[in-house]
Amino acid sequence: MTIAKLSLTLCCLLALTAGCSSSTEAPPKAKQSEEQAIADESTDSAETSETEEAEAAPSDQPFVLGNAIVDFDPPTLEELDESADWQDNPVLDSEAQLRKELAEEEPPEVSVEEALKLKNGPPGNNKKILTALGVLADADGKNVDYDQDFVRHVTGDLKTTNPVMVSSVTDFEFSDLSGLGFLSFDRHFNYFAPQNSVVSWQTSKDGLTDKMVIRDDLTWSDGKPVTAHDIEFSYRLIMTDHDDLVIPAVRQGTDQLKLVKAYDDHTIVYFHKTALATNKPNMIFPILPKHIYEKTLPEDPSMKRSKRHRELEDHPVVNGGYTLSKRVRNQEFVVKRRESYYMHNGKQVRKKPYFKSVRVKVIEDANTALLALKKGDIEEMLLRPEQWESQTGDAAFYKHNTKVTAIEWTNFFFQYNVESRYFADKKVRWAMTYAVDYEELLKTICRDLYQQSQGTYHPESWMFPENAPKIVQQDLDKAEDLLDEAGWDDSDGDGIRDKMIDGKLVPFEFALMTYTSETGIQAATLMKECLDQIGIIAHVKSTEFTVMQQKNLDHEFDMTMGGWGTSTDPDSNENIFATGQNRNYGQYSNEEVDRLFKEGRKELDKEKRAAIYAKIHQILWDDQPYTWLFYRPAFYAFNKKLRGYHFSPRGPYNYSPGVSSIYVPAERP
Amino acid sequence: MLNELPTETPAELLERDAADPHVPEQVSRGFWGEAWQRFRQRKLQMMSLAFVMFLGIVALTAPMIAGTKPIVCKYKGSIYFPAMGYYVRSWENPIFRKERFRNIYPKNLKKKDPESWAVWPLVYQDPYRRVRKNEWVDENGEGRPGNPSGTKGSPSSLNWFGTNQQGFDVFAQMVHGTQIALSVGFVSMGIAASIGIFIGALAGYLGGWIDILLSRLIEVVMCVPSLVLILALVAMLDNVTNWHLMAIVGCTSWTGIARLTRAEFLKLKQMEFITAARALGANRWRIMFRHVLRNALAPVLVPITFGIAAAILIESGLSYLGFGASPPNPSWGTLLKSGRTAIQQMWWLIVFPGTAIFLTVLAYNLIGEGLQEATDPRLRQDSH
Repeated sequence: MTIAKLSLTLCCLLALTAGCSSSTEAPPKAKQSEEQAIADESTDSAETSETEEAEAAPSDQPFVLGNAIVDFDPPTLEELDESADWQDNPVLDSEAQLRKELAEEEPPEVSVEEALKLKNGPPGNNKKILTALGVLADADGKNVDYDQDFVRHVTGDLKTTNPVMVSSVTDFEFSDLSGLGFLSFDRHFNYFAPQNSVVSWQTSKDGLTDKMVIRDDLTWSDGKPVTAHDIEFSYRLIMTDHDDLVIPAVRQGTDQLKLVKAYDDHTIVYFHKTALATNKPNMIFPILPKHIYEKTLPEDPSMKRSKRHRELEDHPVVNGGYTLSKRVRNQEFVVKRRESYYMHNGKQVRKKPYFKSVRVKVIEDANTALLALKKGDIEEMLLRPEQWESQTGDAAFYKHNTKVTAIEWTNFFFQYNVESRYFADKKVRWAMTYAVDYEELLKTICRDLYQQSQGTYHPESWMFPENAPKIVQQDLDKAEDLLDEAGWDDSDGDGIRDKMIDGKLVPFEFALMTYTSETGIQAATLMKECLDQIGIIAHVKSTEFTVMQQKNLDHEFDMTMGGWGTSTDPDSNENIFATGQNRNYGQYSNEEVDRLFKEGRKELDKEKRAAIYAKIHQILWDDQPYTWLFYRPAFYAFNKKLRGYHFSPRGPYNYSPGVSSIYVPAERP
Repeated sequence: MLNELPTETPAELLERDAADPHVPEQVSRGFWGEAWQRFRQRKLQMMSLAFVMFLGIVALTAPMIAGTKPIVCKYKGSIYFPAMGYYVRSWENPIFRKERFRNIYPKNLKKKDPESWAVWPLVYQDPYRRVRKNEWVDENGEGRPGNPSGTKGSPSSLNWFGTNQQGFDVFAQMVHGTQIALSVGFVSMGIAASIGIFIGALAGYLGGWIDILLSRLIEVVMCVPSLVLILALVAMLDNVTNWHLMAIVGCTSWTGIARLTRAEFLKLKQMEFITAARALGANRWRIMFRHVLRNALAPVLVPITFGIAAAILIESGLSYLGFGASPPNPSWGTLLKSGRTAIQQMWWLIVFPGTAIFLTVLAYNLIGEGLQEATDPRLRQDSH
């Protein structure tokens, strides 16, 4: 698998299924998780590729740090300051910001005690629970029980503790807990620099340069200071081409930067290729300690084989709020609070992480995880819809836990290969859309928990068009008429529609690829039933995630089911719908859409951008490269001792403050 | 049994029979007659046989027991058999598709031809879809409620064995699943028996280098894990059917049968009746498959019977793991799989298919055991 393909696979793994932000404002996975595929139950499928690389013989290729960076002679800092006309950007404490926002909202309708007694089911209770238990810790942290541990749940094992080599959801969990971020975004996807690591952040007026001054009280867990040189070194490492160096997930986006340069220990400058509205996510990448890796990398560019690298894997040097204290393969890893993160020269210089330790338990099976949650062995988990609806309403669940749901911009669909002989015609794709029994899909299969989809962008997003497409109802007559118009009729009277293509009578019979989760199989089975009614045979093929991903990349399908989460910017959809793009699995092509994506990226005015993306939304709807099915909300269970959780359109963790605002109060009912 | 022994000597008996013209001539029952005589004396085995025959009837008549398509109907002056579509899709007359029935017959028959009539299956439920609200209207003109979905589908008067999460009727799935269970067993073991007996016969009778070659072939095939082959096949094919599973199970499980057949042939070819047949000028194939095989068949039937039970378990296991035929596949294993995710709420998804698998596999094993005892003189109870 090529690096490009591998990184795509990895992107798809950064599923919404798991949380991933830090307790210390580490960088949320903005860039890596742009438009993530919904890997419902295959969190660690990239493991194979990684292992394959590890087993390969070492390369003789010389290691040249940053050899993939295009030559660029940066100006001196003085020249830059003179010409840039710096514009200040926000430097915030995201939790304080959220506290301010919540203060302006309506106060909770019920007290914490009342909320803990409520069952989430009757209308209105979700909001009551969410607002009451979402109350943040006091600004001074006096109401926090700092001696508490937090037991989290993941579905796959930790493969690496090296943040540059992350490949699975659990790797990102560790990376976020132990890492420090210099750029982040809030629940509304507004970017800011975190106050706990950055002093100032400025962008040049022409939008081509960003300058950050980082704090001088940051330290690595080995006591050495975190400097701007570490950031430049990490950028150079990510931009290094070497046969042994496999850094699949972090290169994407970072490669859009022209250069990252440290001018002194605290001043770092990011040079962009062009001024785009989408430049900010490119500045987010993990940081490694230069003082260690500059010595170890030349002898082992793989970062896996040498004794020193193996030691670092077991005892990583980190810059975030937690450091690794225990790791049992395929069972769990534990991180403990790092005092040198928040204390400097005997003085507290930043927020003390709320938990003494975070234990991340690996439980692959969702049913087993739910049993563990009910028993109190884990303290949070992402619930499946069927678990939400029918397995979490009993006293055993509510003894230790409560549950909440929130809107998530996650979209599920059937995707067509428009190069396929069946779906090249727009009329056929529309016929498919009219054939779906949406009522059965939403009420029976999705248990009335999901909202019917109206296209690629979520109705609550800023880019959703004002004249939104109307909700489609099943209309089999219309579907049959469209198929007749497209030339697909039952000419030989065998009950299956057919068409003469290249002198051959082709029956309308194809494989419908879907993932192996219950909802995936049920939705595809329903589609098969609907199509059978109009004389089309679909063979449902439930496919393991990695195989499905490869088939998608190779365009080896006629129709496939899938889902996308959301990135922080609508531009990431270009990767899905623009001609020839990596994740345009269905090979859809429309010149106008290609042009609009380019225009949208260059436009810096948000309103004008919204209009551009709304237009894209409409064109896509008219062309129906997908039959959009439903938007899936987030369903989470939390232990009753926890407070301070909130949701963004990417779930409860993948933004700032995310999980770092979760705490256990000192006094509990 | 000793009490039943005749008190006369054979000579006396012969003398008496010759003297008395009313004594009928004693005809020997033959090997199979003897075996059947001994088999039928075993109650459990006979019950098992009856159970398997019952399953066979259920499998053959499944669309008449549970379905949403009429067994026979008169529509616009012609007689049709739409339920045949459950066996093979093309056996359902395309007129109903052209007239846009959309698989909903009760309403559409009356609507499009008020003169029409239909004979319906015993239970109006479908193994491949959820029956929707008002799909069926009774004599009083009252519409029937749709099948419940989620965890609400416990057994009721409309859904005898309950429904699964998607609202598919469990009874209908179990009835149609019988076809899968039985056909998987019979077809795969049919394939295995054909290959195994043929290879075993060749190896045992011809001997020499052919025996050496075929014995090595048997050993090689024994090393091929059928499960891995099935998984590879599932990954390769777009539409995996039970026929594919049957073919693989059949093609990989013939080795035991072949070895047994070979051993029997090695033994039997030394017998006098074979020498006699050879002396009479019978050719090699005639001796092998007419004289030796019929005498070697009894011990071979036993592993075949056990093999049927094993094949049913393999199919159920694969469906349970999600590697069975493409969905919707109304297999008992698939039902168990859907019950696994909600075991605490939906007991009916475990109990009914679980019982069916247990009883069927038990029945085949008992039949196999009975056959073994009935055909092997060393195991006869009356020989002690």
